[in-house]
Amino acid sequence: MSRREGSLEDPQADSSVSLLPHLEAKIRQTHSLAHLLTKYAEQLLQEYVQLQGDPFGLPSFSPPRLPVAGLSAPAPSHAGLPVHERLRLDAAALAALPPLLDAVCRRQAELNPRAPRLLRRLEDAARQARALGAAVEALLAALGAANRGPRAEPPAAAASAASATGVFPAKVLGLRVCGLYREWLSRTEGDLGQLLPGGSA
Amino acid sequence: MPAGRRGPAAQSARQPPPLLPLLLLCVLGAPRAGSGAHTAVISPQDPTLLIGSSLLATCSVHGDPPGATAEGLYWTLNGRRLPPELSRVLNASTLALALANLNGSRQQSGDNLVCHARDGSILAGSCLYVGLPPEKPVNISCWSKNMKDLTCRWTPGAHGETFLHTNYSLKYKLRWYGQDNTCEEYHTVGPHSCHIPKDLALFTPYEIWVEATNRLGSARSDVLTLDILDVGSRLPLPSPATPGLSLLVRGKVVTTDPPPDVHVSRVGGLEDQLSVRWVSPPALKDFLFQAKYQIRYRVEDSVDWKVVDDVSNQTSCRLAGLKPGTVYFVQVRCNPFGIYGSKKAGIWSEWSHPTAASTPRSERPGPGGGACEPRGGEPSSGPVRRELKQFLGWLKKHAYCSNLSFRLYDQWRAWMQKSHKTRNQHRTRGSCPRADGARREGKASTQFVKVSTQTSAQLSSHGPDSRPPAGLQPQGRHQPPTS
Repeated sequence: MSRREGSLEDPQADSSVSLLPHLEAKIRQTHSLAHLLTKYAEQLLQEYVQLQGDPFGLPSFSPPRLPVAGLSAPAPSHAGLPVHERLRLDAAALAALPPLLDAVCRRQAELNPRAPRLLRRLEDAARQARALGAAVEALLAALGAANRGPRAEPPAAAASAASATGVFPAKVLGLRVCGLYREWLSRTEGDLGQLLPGGSA
Repeated sequence: MPAGRRGPAAQSARQPPPLLPLLLLCVLGAPRAGSGAHTAVISPQDPTLLIGSSLLATCSVHGDPPGATAEGLYWTLNGRRLPPELSRVLNASTLALALANLNGSRQQSGDNLVCHARDGSILAGSCLYVGLPPEKPVNISCWSKNMKDLTCRWTPGAHGETFLHTNYSLKYKLRWYGQDNTCEEYHTVGPHSCHIPKDLALFTPYEIWVEATNRLGSARSDVLTLDILDVGSRLPLPSPATPGLSLLVRGKVVTTDPPPDVHVSRVGGLEDQLSVRWVSPPALKDFLFQAKYQIRYRVEDSVDWKVVDDVSNQTSCRLAGLKPGTVYFVQVRCNPFGIYGSKKAGIWSEWSHPTAASTPRSERPGPGGGACEPRGGEPSSGPVRRELKQFLGWLKKHAYCSNLSFRLYDQWRAWMQKSHKTRNQHRTRGSCPRADGARREGKASTQFVKVSTQTSAQLSSHGPDSRPPAGLQPQGRHQPPTS
């Protein structure tokens, strides 16, 4: 590992040097998965805006960035954190995304019942976010940087404030969730890339 | 948005949107205290309207500090800014919008009506659902391949597009008793179809109908009454111009899968016949059906099918009168009839997958003989060879010479050339051997025509016991083809 801020322990000092090739392979694999899912997230976003109708698909469309319970966008300071801290935040976001994507899927099933591809993409996105989050957590554990404290559960359905929202706000909120999904996947891909040999700080 | 039909202005009762799962906190449309930002509320929220009707909407601004003004607000619909003359300021904080003669919604999720601040930021939104109530579904038809399940399809109302999501539900019940049941497996054979997989009663009529529902209303089709075993009907058959609709005749229900394992093969060396064999559809074996079949066939590079119609309850057939050396595609289909002794027909199955086979060629070229039909270098022998081919075909049929072939002809020619060469050894004076060979071949061809005439004459005068030139002796009586 390079001498970067927040770098992990020198693997040369680790007695299990024979595990490094395996660990590197897992990092590469997880990085590839994140890269692939980022592409899928782009496709999901495109399909989503198309089905909501204009102005959602217009370049000038700038809806308010609504806060989403239990998940925020990557902070500007994210890039300056140690890599294992970044990956912990990535894993936490990926764990929070599936119920949000499921909620969007259910709402879209009412608004766009004849859009099976969009609904399938949303279902797949929830599943893939879980898988990638689990893979990142496994990597963190292997690197000895797993979060040993009590794991924060995503907000339960009954815990947050409920409101009957109109259709337009629901469309905007779904756009927000899909956007967050893409942002966090892209962030995860970048953070994993820094674990690869030759990855820059 | 596409133009729609006019209708009375109406605003039907809007179904309240269901509660979202409690994960999302929406602030759009609700004021945020202390943020210094303005928000707004559009009324009505998500209205449903008939095509051609009008809408009066308002955008009421709230904000911090209070006293937010409607000055500078504007509307967009599906991303397009609406003309200012459609809007007017109702009061200091409310901007109104009047839309008339609305067109059908552009997308099923609703048209996006948005209220913007002066700087273009979005203050609030509402989705409009503009369309038509559903029309009565028509043309319900149902069929079964095994009398254990039932597939039905229908056509939406005459004018089709409602611009709103319309839900279709196929219902069925036993005619004289029982409760309504709802079909659950939709879109099995197209967008307006449903499959009932089990628990069907025989010898008891069912009532089947389709209910269509959308935000503006509902409609119900006429009731179709049928018995699963009703394989005959007095209703008029569809016109020949639409043979595909033979599946949709009311009352005719039972059909079957096409016959499996269709095999097409040659009949020995018979060049104008093919044998077709198939297996009776397995689903029929459990029922007291008979079956009748149809065969159709076509030449490989043709689109014209010929149909053999009189194939009764058998699983093989021989096609005759075919062209030799030709690839044919063959298909078979089945009609279950005679259920439990009835003589009424059911519905023809689909055609089986095409099976191909070729009839034997009537003549084959020898190893050194080149193509059967001569190429451009031998124009004089082209018509001769064609005539020879026809003659040999005639001989085979009528003169019991089964072993006549172009191969024998070429052997004879080689023999003739050899004997000519021997005779001409004294006459050759340096002429081109190839040219000489061509001339000799031409002569040989001419001589063959005479010989063949003699051969024919010999055969006709002396019968099968005569001895034609070597290579042309029949080796056995040729069996005439059976019709």
